[in-house]
Amino acid sequence: MKNLAAILFAATSVVACVGSAGDGTTGGDDGGSGSDTGSGSGMTNDQWDQLLGQRVVDYNAALRTAAIRLTGDLPTMDEINSISTLTDVAAQKTAYETLLTAYLARPTFAKQMMGFWQDTFKMGGGTMNEMDTAPAFAAMLSVNDGSYMDLFTAQTGNCPTFDGTTFTAGTCAGSVQAGVLANPGAMKQFFSNFAFRRVRWVQETFDCAKFPIEVGAAQDVHGAAPYNGVWPFESISDDQVGRVNFRDVSAVVCANCHQTINHIAPLFAYFDDQGAMQTAISVPTPLDGAPKAELTDYLPATETTAWRYQKPATTIPALGAAMAADPAVAKCGVARIWNWALGKMDIVDTLTDVPQETIQAQQDAFTSSGFKLKQLIFAVYSSDDFVKF
Amino acid sequence: MKNLNLIFVAAVSTLGLVACVDNTLSEDPPPPEGTSPGTAGAGTDNTFDHENDGISPWELVDRLTKEGPPRYTSHVHSCSKVRYANLGNVLKSVGINTTNTMQLSAGQLYTSGFNAMGGPNYDNRIRESISVSTSGASRMFDIFAAGATEVMTAVPTLQRCMSGGTPAVLFDANGQCQKSGITCIIGTPATDAHVSLCNLSVTSASTPEIGKRLAVAAILAAAYTCE
Repeated sequence: MKNLAAILFAATSVVACVGSAGDGTTGGDDGGSGSDTGSGSGMTNDQWDQLLGQRVVDYNAALRTAAIRLTGDLPTMDEINSISTLTDVAAQKTAYETLLTAYLARPTFAKQMMGFWQDTFKMGGGTMNEMDTAPAFAAMLSVNDGSYMDLFTAQTGNCPTFDGTTFTAGTCAGSVQAGVLANPGAMKQFFSNFAFRRVRWVQETFDCAKFPIEVGAAQDVHGAAPYNGVWPFESISDDQVGRVNFRDVSAVVCANCHQTINHIAPLFAYFDDQGAMQTAISVPTPLDGAPKAELTDYLPATETTAWRYQKPATTIPALGAAMAADPAVAKCGVARIWNWALGKMDIVDTLTDVPQETIQAQQDAFTSSGFKLKQLIFAVYSSDDFVKF
Repeated sequence: MKNLNLIFVAAVSTLGLVACVDNTLSEDPPPPEGTSPGTAGAGTDNTFDHENDGISPWELVDRLTKEGPPRYTSHVHSCSKVRYANLGNVLKSVGINTTNTMQLSAGQLYTSGFNAMGGPNYDNRIRESISVSTSGASRMFDIFAAGATEVMTAVPTLQRCMSGGTPAVLFDANGQCQKSGITCIIGTPATDAHVSLCNLSVTSASTPEIGKRLAVAAILAAAYTCE
């Protein structure tokens, strides 16, 4: 709520500043509680809580939604009746969860998961080819109750194929394996100058947030705005070290995003436009003639690649290990499953944020289970929020 | 919440430039010619112009005002459209032939409605849109209207809707709507209100047959506005 109050403050600050000579007293930080209003709608937080409290458990409605999302089809009349004929809520819950378990065991669940991961990864969907192996791997982990973290760490079996009902094991081509991070289809799909699109895909898909992602205290770098990063400002290249000035501050402070991007991108720069790993950097730059990128374009020689500040990762497998150890990545996985179940749009594209407290129970269970995907899906689809309307 | 933080930073920065330019930022150097503050557009001696925009804070505030804060919205179901592939399964499940190629048949409207209904475009890194759009909802309603007769014919024979060997019935011999048939096509137990509205549609139409088609199409349209 502190953030929402801050946004509302921002939205009203034009008037406040101009009209009152910028006395700065309007809508300042209230200490973080945001307890008076909820999002500017005129409703208080207590009123939003009251609305939540007015929901009622409806296993009939939950079954229909679960059936469509998990199997792609409507429940049968017998399935509907197995709940609707019961009057006791506890018995309905048991019947619903029995059906949920059955849905998760059906072949159609695999197809649904394939669609979910194609949407999540924004790739695939054609005749089964390299573009589908990353979604297929994630779908296979979901169906087989594998670890979500295998998406970043698996050394083998990370490029399966899927024929609509069955997964066939396969390992990605190439000498570097780290779940889907070095997936040739993904590398091809997100090929771009400097490999920045690959970095953005990894960031937004698995950390659920756009750049800038590492935010620290404002530092005056004599530009149009302060530098808000956590890396030293000089930890990325300028046009004296490389050929591009990532420390430019004249229009926007590039380093706010590129402090992180430039420490990741070199790891993905060795994949060519077909997604094949090469021994030399194989992505172009937007400079005249589109020359290939060079390491010094990203970072000074004293720097190493990293997932985050003080989280070095000199190889893609090391990057995957760092991601797997990052609680924000686990939270993102839970949030994506949560949003899918509750019919939300993409968490990044539409900023459909899921507060930590909303999914704390599911995230705790996810972590203690070893990040098992199928168990997470069951937990979300059987949660209080899912069965209340 | 970190995203919201960043939006806040962006909003404050942007608005600050507008509101307080005469004092706070007067000592900063102006942006290079051809660029504007807060964008990643570049001058001739810099790199290249690239997308650097996020969600408009104004749009976000508007959404939060209408829908409520995340601490509320994250707990409740949203009204997402029925995904394209799922809609195909549902249509088959209620007795519509989705392979029918006859012009303006329900099947033809479905198979030709991929883009109108927001299907994914993975080649361009675009996921399926699950928001309810005017074009998508219109096409779906057209499909239900075109397929209503197929549905009425099929319901008594649908294996999915059999209960203990007894088929579902959408309309009885007197043309009255029946709960079992409505339950069959909406996928959740029909209520008395469903039956009343269905009967009202039938009796209000110019003929009973048209009324039945309207009733079935309206029930389906209402049931599948949200997945």
